[in-house]
Amino acid sequence: MANRGEIACRILRACREAGHPTVAICASNDVGSLFTEMANEVIVLNGDTIAETYLDQQQIIQAAKTTGATAIHPGFGFLSERADFATAVESAGLIWIGPSALAIKKMGDKMTARQTMRAAGVPVIPGEEVEEVDEAKALVALRDASTRVGYPLLLKASSGGGGKGMRAVHGPDEFDQAATGARREAVAAFGDGRIYIERLLSGSKHIEIQVLADKHGRTVHLGERECSVQRRHQKVFEEAPGPTMSQALREAMGQAAVAAAEAVNYVGAGTVEFLLAPSGEFFFLEMNTRIQVEHPVTELVTGVDIVREQLRIANGEPMSCGPLMIRGHAIEVRLYAEDAANGFLPSIGPLAVFRPPEGPGIRLDTGVREGDDVTPNYDPMLAKLIVWAPSRHEALQKMRRALDEFVVLGTTTNIEFLRDLCDAAPVVDGLTTTTTIDELWPNGWNPPTVPMLEEAALLTAASAETLGLHRQRTTGTAESSNGGPVSPFSTLQRRFP
Amino acid sequence: MQHTFASKDGPIEVTLTKTGDAFVLEGHELRQHNRGRVHITLRDGRTCLAHTAKVGDVWWVHLNGRTYKWERIEPGSSGAEDEGGLVAPMPGKVLEVLVREGDAVEAGAPLMVLEAMKMEHRIVASTDGIVTNIHFNAGDQVAQGATLLDLE
Repeated sequence: MANRGEIACRILRACREAGHPTVAICASNDVGSLFTEMANEVIVLNGDTIAETYLDQQQIIQAAKTTGATAIHPGFGFLSERADFATAVESAGLIWIGPSALAIKKMGDKMTARQTMRAAGVPVIPGEEVEEVDEAKALVALRDASTRVGYPLLLKASSGGGGKGMRAVHGPDEFDQAATGARREAVAAFGDGRIYIERLLSGSKHIEIQVLADKHGRTVHLGERECSVQRRHQKVFEEAPGPTMSQALREAMGQAAVAAAEAVNYVGAGTVEFLLAPSGEFFFLEMNTRIQVEHPVTELVTGVDIVREQLRIANGEPMSCGPLMIRGHAIEVRLYAEDAANGFLPSIGPLAVFRPPEGPGIRLDTGVREGDDVTPNYDPMLAKLIVWAPSRHEALQKMRRALDEFVVLGTTTNIEFLRDLCDAAPVVDGLTTTTTIDELWPNGWNPPTVPMLEEAALLTAASAETLGLHRQRTTGTAESSNGGPVSPFSTLQRRFP
Repeated sequence: MQHTFASKDGPIEVTLTKTGDAFVLEGHELRQHNRGRVHITLRDGRTCLAHTAKVGDVWWVHLNGRTYKWERIEPGSSGAEDEGGLVAPMPGKVLEVLVREGDAVEAGAPLMVLEAMKMEHRIVASTDGIVTNIHFNAGDQVAQGATLLDLE
């Protein structure tokens, strides 16, 4: 398991269910983390930085060899979309749980991906690629292309991702400065300054299609996820099915996604991302050649265990899922250790109380538990809270209830922000776009002022101090541990209907 | 039962009153049920369960899906150095001595209760240790800065 945290837990659990013994790797500052307890063996990596640990390909392959592991699952992030790692794993005689190095490479370079998709008949966002490497010549070529693409437009780095090397340009007067800046950023982040131009499609929805392909020639799609609600180019609220999706559009986008996967001989689980314009046209954005953070919403509405299918496919077996059936509605929110009222800045602290909600239709994917410390070492995502209900309306109701019940004390989280998001009109109406958060809270989000609750909290703090509650077990721990094992004698006389 | 908490508008003095088994503030009532569970009845009759944790001097309180933070200001203390110190933070009277010489105590355990300016102040152990000397008895007057007990 060449990853850590929440996704490592998810995959290690799937392996345990499938009867595969597992080996976790971890950096020294992750010793004792939840995911390390879920593996049969743990190898502590040498080194301090992420580059020296979770990104050290040779050390990870060595750990697999030493322990006799036969396959490597990269999770997401870290080495999951590195073609050279896929190659190195296979050269070492290990199974790579993912698509071929060539497929990763073809999709990883965004300009190559656009050209491949065009050739496969998949609609791409109108725009132009500029292969020119020389700075001055590239600028001239980009400026020429910009007049053909039209404004507003987006400049994107061919090796880009996560918003780096990306600029929105609204008119020709801004162009030179934006292009120079995007190139500089792309060179610094990826060592590759190549830039392409796309028309800026504002008011669009971010819709992605989950695909699965096995080594027996079968490629299927598992329907769509809508992930329009983003802050700082990161998704926070994801759902399946898309609230405005028609069966005809699902079929058309699904077929396009399958064609995209087949064009690169894709094997395993992948996601084809599209922009859906207000006109109803859709355009290929990029393909993520790995498991995605938001895969659980698809699992809940299709009944397909995507990680189990990954294991099956890597093992050379045909995938087990039947024809696509979508049932009910699923919503996922990402819980971050961050201060939503302060520009979403990451926060740190102890998880003095960590009490997730429970009940029917609620799933929690997390890599932490009560008592852990949130450190600045890794991504601030604490957990994914996912709900399923028969309808979208009920799924939102369930999500509101679940967020109200979720108690995290000691570290500032975005729980209240997510809770308010569930009440926002565009979310309730299913009319979210990639700019929804900025439109809802142009000056930043702040928690609502509820003087009555604020006073009651002050009463609670003062009473708790007087009672010395901090020297007792907190309510959270008492409840989550359920007071230890139940004596069988206490239930002997009970009758159950 | 007075406590001081920090707010953006300056320190807030909180005086709790007790009615039966409930602590009361501004018409809101708090009752502690078994196993440290805290129930609130708001002034308007609504009820909720509170979850609490103290991290440093800050009380984190979860109520009805909202999380509040209230930082407690130790009476008479001016900085973190005085926190839980074994010297009187202000001139006053010893109300209660909660330990005996030779007792082993854990960090955070209450040792003595002082009263000054009509406020109660709890002297708590700053570290784990053994109480070796108690310099005052209940009812004694103490000067600011007087060493109240020794902990080793």
